[in-house]
Amino acid sequence: MPEEPKQPRLVSVSQALVRAAAPLVPRAHRDDWQREWNAEIWHRWQFLFHTGEWNRREQWLLLRSALGAFADAAWLLASQEAVRSRISEFARSPFTCLSAFALILFSIAAASSGLHATRQMLFSQMPSKMGDLTFIWLHQYIGGGDKGLPGDVVPAWAQSSKLLNGVAGIEVKHRAVAFRGRTLPEKPLVLTASPTLFNLLGVKPAAGKLPAENEVVLDKRALLMLANSKTNVIGSEIKIDGEPYRIAAVLPGGFEFLSRQPTVYLMETLTYAQKAFVVARVKPGVSDDRLSKELSRIAAEITAYYYLQGQMRFSTWRGALLTPLISFSIATLLASLIAWMAFRPRLRQIRIAFEPEHRRTAARRVLFFLSKTGLGLACVFVGCLEWSRSESSVLLASRDPGSGPFLLWLYVLGTMGVLFWAVADQRARCRVCLRLMAFPVRIGCPGCLLLDWSGTELFCSEGHGLLHVPLMAPSWDEEADRWISLDDSWKGLFAHEK
Amino acid sequence: MSDSAKLSHTAALILQTVDNGCSYGFDIMDETGLPSGTVYPALRRMEKEGWIASQWEAEKKALAEQRPARKYYRVTRAGAQVLEQSQRRYPLLGKLSQKSRR
Repeated sequence: MPEEPKQPRLVSVSQALVRAAAPLVPRAHRDDWQREWNAEIWHRWQFLFHTGEWNRREQWLLLRSALGAFADAAWLLASQEAVRSRISEFARSPFTCLSAFALILFSIAAASSGLHATRQMLFSQMPSKMGDLTFIWLHQYIGGGDKGLPGDVVPAWAQSSKLLNGVAGIEVKHRAVAFRGRTLPEKPLVLTASPTLFNLLGVKPAAGKLPAENEVVLDKRALLMLANSKTNVIGSEIKIDGEPYRIAAVLPGGFEFLSRQPTVYLMETLTYAQKAFVVARVKPGVSDDRLSKELSRIAAEITAYYYLQGQMRFSTWRGALLTPLISFSIATLLASLIAWMAFRPRLRQIRIAFEPEHRRTAARRVLFFLSKTGLGLACVFVGCLEWSRSESSVLLASRDPGSGPFLLWLYVLGTMGVLFWAVADQRARCRVCLRLMAFPVRIGCPGCLLLDWSGTELFCSEGHGLLHVPLMAPSWDEEADRWISLDDSWKGLFAHEK
Repeated sequence: MSDSAKLSHTAALILQTVDNGCSYGFDIMDETGLPSGTVYPALRRMEKEGWIASQWEAEKKALAEQRPARKYYRVTRAGAQVLEQSQRRYPLLGKLSQKSRR
């Protein structure tokens, strides 16, 4: 028989883990529990040692097994009735509801570089030369939808317009890009634009010179993606959809136009087949109507395109940037209106709620409702803006939901979801302590609706009252949900110990 | 015990292993390949349900062998019924039982 071994360090560590997990175990079982784990660890070590299998792998396996003591202890803790009741009370509390929303907001911020898109939209100081830019696009009456204009109207406007100080057409597409013999696995964003674009934007390159026709400009992110930020790419060849071009310039680090994605700018005069969104600098004091008339006239005279009154649409850069906020406000108003009509709040009840004796409770309820709705809507606004293709929304500034940006639909659905949930949640809470009601009891049977009430009764776990929710809310009874307040004499029935 | 007690496959495997004669937590882990964080909570639950019973081995015997006493588990009559149901539900489990008894 081998000599009695000295207890290895990993065995001691395993036992220390068991000791660390022990406080989780209910006191009545703790000694027994700890004894069992320690005995198992000891026997495992002894067995392996005496069979000559006590190697490094087995040591780590023992340590891993000892970690299971935490899961075991947690299970024993959670299986205690008092703990379960405390957990369920915690889940029902209004504080948990608000904390959950705050946590979601925090998670969105953590996952989106500190709410990049939202900050840019609300607080960014845009370059002064870009502030007065105007976007022009076309609304197609037949078939609906916002579309780009034919590319060949841009040179016509540049040549003949008296109301524009500068104009450039842009087409945005994901295209195949190859650089130094390597084709990028994912197609980057290629913004094809008239060579006048950077003059119009008032942006000077960080390296290289302003591009000419058939030359390419990279932004900093595109440079990082293609050449690991090395600026010796000027003059190099780059292939876009198999066609060779020369890189003329690299843009400054903070420059961002329409998209946060790495963007390759291809300077090319757009043809009639390309659908262009036009960016222009309009002379001060020119109204949209006057501009529309002049641009329509030039388009008809030179390129033979005829536009209807109001078909050409304009939006300033700032206005386009704030489009998500405007869309969200409209969606919220719409959802509020629908929720108001759907839930038919009774004015009589609101009057009663604000009588002096109920005022304090009512104020708490209103404050809670506004807080959770506000937090929920903030989650929808920020979450959708950060994760949707916000640049397309900014670019299109669409007012047509049929073909409008995905973001608009997200806002409509999100705000409706939050408002409907908030009202339903509010109705399912105690009118006094705002905890979610508990202990649902079915009463009556579905067949006896005509003669008796059939539905569910829920109780406040603190004994403040009970809520009757009918199985079917009859149209003739406005007070479908009935809240019955219970006085202190009932509290004994609700043995909820604080 | 409920007549229609349904065990997950993992819980049934653990119960089957105890029935096959593995009486200690770490032995069950070896036999099933399941981690301790799965085996022990499952044992606690089955003990609470009355499907297995635990007992400390005689202290005197352990002391004589200069080692700590171990807690061992065995399947109760109620547990045997649940196991039988589980074997019908998971036919492979039944084969495992026959194989190990052979």
